[in-house]
Order: sequence, then structure tokens, then C-alpha cells
Amino acid sequence: MKHLLFILFTCLFSSPSYSATPEPKDLIQQAMDQWRGLSSYSEMTMTIHRPDWQRSMSMRSWTKGEKTTLVRVTEPKKDAGNGTLTNDNNMWTFAPKVNRIIKVPSSMMSQSWMGSDFTNKDISKSTDIIDQYDHTLLETRQQDGHTIYVIESIPHEDAAVVWGKEILTIRDDYIMLEQQFWDQDNILVKSMKALEIKELGGRTVASIIRMGKQDAPDEWTEMSVQDIKFDQDHADNLFTLSNLRNPRQ
Amino acid sequence: MNTLPFNAVFTLAWRNLWRNHRRTTIMLAAITVGVWAMIFMTALMRGMVDDMLLNSIRSLPGEVQIHHPQYRDDPSINNSMPAPSDNLLAALQIPEVVAWTSRVRVPAVISSERDSRGIVLLGVEPSSEIAVSFDPDSIIEGRFLEDSNDRGLVIGAKMAEHLETRLGKRVVVMSQDPDNNIADRGFRVVGIYKAKLVSLEETYVYAGRDTIQKLLNIENQVSEIAITGEDYRNAYKWYPQIKQAAGESVDTLPWYEADAYLGSMMSMMDGFVLVWVIIIFLALSFGLVNTLVMAVFERIREIGLMQALGMRPAMILYQILLESFLLLFIGLLLGNVIAVASIIPLQSGIDISAVAKGMEMMGASSMLYPALKVEDMVLANIIVIVLGLLTSILPAWRAASYDPIKALNSN
Repeated sequence: MKHLLFILFTCLFSSPSYSATPEPKDLIQQAMDQWRGLSSYSEMTMTIHRPDWQRSMSMRSWTKGEKTTLVRVTEPKKDAGNGTLTNDNNMWTFAPKVNRIIKVPSSMMSQSWMGSDFTNKDISKSTDIIDQYDHTLLETRQQDGHTIYVIESIPHEDAAVVWGKEILTIRDDYIMLEQQFWDQDNILVKSMKALEIKELGGRTVASIIRMGKQDAPDEWTEMSVQDIKFDQDHADNLFTLSNLRNPRQ
Repeated sequence: MNTLPFNAVFTLAWRNLWRNHRRTTIMLAAITVGVWAMIFMTALMRGMVDDMLLNSIRSLPGEVQIHHPQYRDDPSINNSMPAPSDNLLAALQIPEVVAWTSRVRVPAVISSERDSRGIVLLGVEPSSEIAVSFDPDSIIEGRFLEDSNDRGLVIGAKMAEHLETRLGKRVVVMSQDPDNNIADRGFRVVGIYKAKLVSLEETYVYAGRDTIQKLLNIENQVSEIAITGEDYRNAYKWYPQIKQAAGESVDTLPWYEADAYLGSMMSMMDGFVLVWVIIIFLALSFGLVNTLVMAVFERIREIGLMQALGMRPAMILYQILLESFLLLFIGLLLGNVIAVASIIPLQSGIDISAVAKGMEMMGASSMLYPALKVEDMVLANIIVIVLGLLTSILPAWRAASYDPIKALNSN
């Protein structure tokens, strides 16, 4: 969940703090720092759209610090109770129907998370983008009274990243407007865009984020945040396997 | 004793053979074609089975393999063992061992921007890997790994197609370390190989052994040791030495035990050759007996006359048998010559790619290399001569046991 949440929360926890000529790495780092050390509770809806069908799932999510996230599905009824816990790079899922916690093996990390356009890897990797990429500021432009930074991030040779590069568009109040995933032939493969930005929980956040593949415009997954609370005091036992199985909150 | 010299019997047999030269020629042609079919088809089948065995042993791999006792049931990273040392290392120096290598071999996932696939990740030491199993000529683009620290990756052509990736692009390989933590890393594709079997291209991905050990957090541990000797058929002679040196804590197996199917295939093939030769011979023998019976039937008066002049029945028996022997001998000679002559030009391989898909399901490749084995030729020749003479005893016996008076008076 973290990659997604990182971006989600980078957008969410943004507060305007200006620096004159930001270093691209610092820009991402600062966006991360906004999120780091904080805890949150949010309610959101994930909509998976395909040419011939569409479905929505409501979920609640708890985060603490940079490493831990718990997501639990509340709606629809048949998926209710499905949970995902991530801790560092490890990921576990729980399905009440089989009453079993499954550690997501490496072989499944590239598969989609709950049938969405996000992969498990998208969800569980967090700080990779800072540590495993080289960042350059491509462009700075003004738009709607904001400064917008376009950063090109190229993964290191050994990084476990298939992309040729990622292009991040970050607003000066640390809202991630867009994250593009390019392949090694410089073709855009998929992108994640902030579709709506509004006040939630006392902050300006990107409340709707859409992930879609470039060559299949009819297929996308949208995350829309209904409610979010920051600086929650989560008990430590929230992010445990036993809590994943038997919800206590 | 009233015996004709051998020369005279031989001359009689030889001339009688060519009295009805058309019949003899047809019979000769039948024997020749039969013998040719025995030898040629056997060589083809031997070639196919050899090819299957060699392919399988190469990908098994190795004529003798050493694994962690549980590895063959569960090829996971937890079932690895220390790299060879001391005793085993010394045993691997015996002259029968031509080459050996140790590998890390774990299931993994490879992903590109477009797709991800399950693979068998091989962490290899390139020079010994080439000696044991990898054919460097199968690299169609780029290069093979240079040393066990190589940071590149060599994948199959079909895999590259699936992943929509190319030489020089990066892919991610993901597996698990012994503590079940995800171990992943980006690799650049430095080489693309083409295997005889597409399924191999889709399965095996090669990387440097040390690189993989570092990635998986298993310093100095390997999954298997593969050892190869001069000839896979002789593995049984030297493998006990290795087994003893390797000790009880690991599983040491020759190829025919590691894959019992392959092992039984080789002995089945020997039986099959025998059955095949006998079946063809049975078809031949009817023609042979018929020819001889006719030859005897035509010559009843003549045989009676010879007996009346004092020739012993045994001589008549010899003469008919000699006739049969000459017929078989010439047929065998021609058959062998034609078989060898037709196999030699095909030794560089017969392209059967039209049926490659079906062959691949059997684990054979689309080139068929006939394998002419001296044993098979000798077997075919001995069977034809021995059984041929046995079947011609009947007509010869009949000729020898005519009553001369009746024979002279017939028609």
C-alpha cells in the first residue's frame, strides 16, 4: 500500500513551505518528510473501471510512520473484511472467507492488488523513489498561482525497478499532481494523476487519484478519499498479524 | 569317405543360386532393403533417443548431481547446501570427471515494464557452466556471463519476446531469501540465447552466482552441484566415488536415478532395437523360405540323380544351406553398405522442423542426428544370418531326405 499511500499522503499532508530553488531530491524528500512520522486514518473508495464493468470498494486505512500501513475493506459486503498489512517491504493479506493470513510471496508482487491497476509492488514500496533513483528537475512552471516542478527520476542500475524513468509533477505545496511511468524505450506506460484537489482534514489534499495505462484508456482505477484524520494516536498492536485477522478497532 | 571338396559344393551352390537369376535378384533386393531398414531405422531412433537423453541430461543437469536431501522435493532457497570443499573438492579431481559446476537454482519472477513471468533463476559460474551444460554458441545476441560476479542477465529469446524486452534493457528479478523476505534487484540483459527447446528458453535465466548469492543472502551456499563425465552411459562407474566423498548429508544421484524415466528409456531402447530387427526379419524369412523351397522343388530330379551318383544327404543339406548363406551374405553386404552410405550424409542432422512441435512434446529437438552404433549393426547381421540359416534348414532337410528312386522318377 505504501507507494500508493506515499503519493496519496504526499499529496494529502502537503502544507505550503516555499524554498527558492528546490533540489529535486529535496523536493521529494520534503514531500516524504511531511508524511513521515505522521499517522493517519482515512476512509476511501477505490473504483476499478473496465470497458464492460466497473466496481467500487470502500476501505479504511491506518498508517503510522513510513513503514506500516493497514487497509481493510468495508464495502461491498462480499469483500468486507479483506485486509492488507504492509510492514517494510513485507506484505500480508487476510481474507475472512478462507480465514487465513497469506504472506504475499515475491512471485505475486507484480500482480494486481485486489484486482486494481495498482500492483502489490506499487502498494508496498515506499521510499524507493528517493533512494533508488537519480532525480533531475526538468521544468519549473507557474500555473494557477502555484509553482509546479517537473522532476525526472531515473532508477539506479541495480534498483528493482522495471521503469526507464518516472516523471513526477509536484506542486509547490507538495501535492503530487502526476506520476508517470515510462518504459526503457521512452514510451509512457502508465500514469497516476490527481484529478481533484480539495480541503480535507484541515489540509489541501489530492482527493481523487487515478491510475491508468496509456494504451488502454478505458481501464483505470480511481482512489477517492472521503475522510481523513491526521496525527492519530494508533496503538502499536494495530499493525500486527493478529489484528489483521481479528480487527479490534 | 565320399565327400566332395568344399570348393565343389561351393561352386554347385553358387551356380544354382544364379540359375534363376531373376528370383535370386528379387530375394536379394528384399534382404538388402530389410537389412537397410533395420540399420537405418535403428540409427534414426538411436539418434532421437540419444538426443533426448543428452538434452535432458544437459538440462537436468549433469550426469551426476548433488543436492540438499530435500531440494528435489522442494527446490526452495532453504534447501541449499555449502559449496563443495575438502573431500568432495578432491573427489571432483578424479580423471573420470570431465567438468563440474555448482549453481544456485531457485524459482523466481522476472518482470519488465510489460509483463512478469515465473522462471528458474540459475546463479552460475560461467566457465564451468559452459563446460557442463551451457552452449555458448546458443547466444544469439550479446554475450554470456563473464564471471560469477557478472551483474548482467542472460535470458532466452522466447522470454525476451514475452517480456517485450531486448538486449541492453533492464528487468527486475524477484525471489525470496531464506527468511522469506523478498529479494529483488534490477539486472541488465546482456545476452539472449536460443535453446533447442522453446520451453527451456522460457524457463531458465542465467545470472552470476556470486551476484545471486549476495541478492539472496546465502553467502557460499549453492543449490546443486552438477558433474559430467566422458559418456553419460558410463556414469554408473564413477559416481559411487563422488557419493562417498560428498557424504551422507547430501543427496548424490546419477542421472538415471535422478530421472528414472530417462534411465528406463535407455534400456527400453536396447530392447526395442532387438524387437524391431526381429520383426523385419520375420517378414523377410517368409520370402527366404519360399525361395529356397522353390529352388529345391525345381531340382528334385537333379537331387535324386546326385544321390544316385553317390552324393551323401549331408552334402545336399550343406549345399542348400550354403546357397542360403550366400544369398543372405550378399544381401547383408549390400544392405550394410547402403545403410552406411545413406546415414553418413545425414550425420549432420535431418531437419524435421515441420513436426518440431510434436517432437518437442517428447523432449526431442527439431534436428534429428542418426546415431550409427556398431553394436546395432552387428546385432542386425547376426540375427539375419543365424535365423536365416535356421529357417533354411527346413527346405534343406527336405531336399536331403528325398528317396533317390522316387526323386529320379518324379515327372
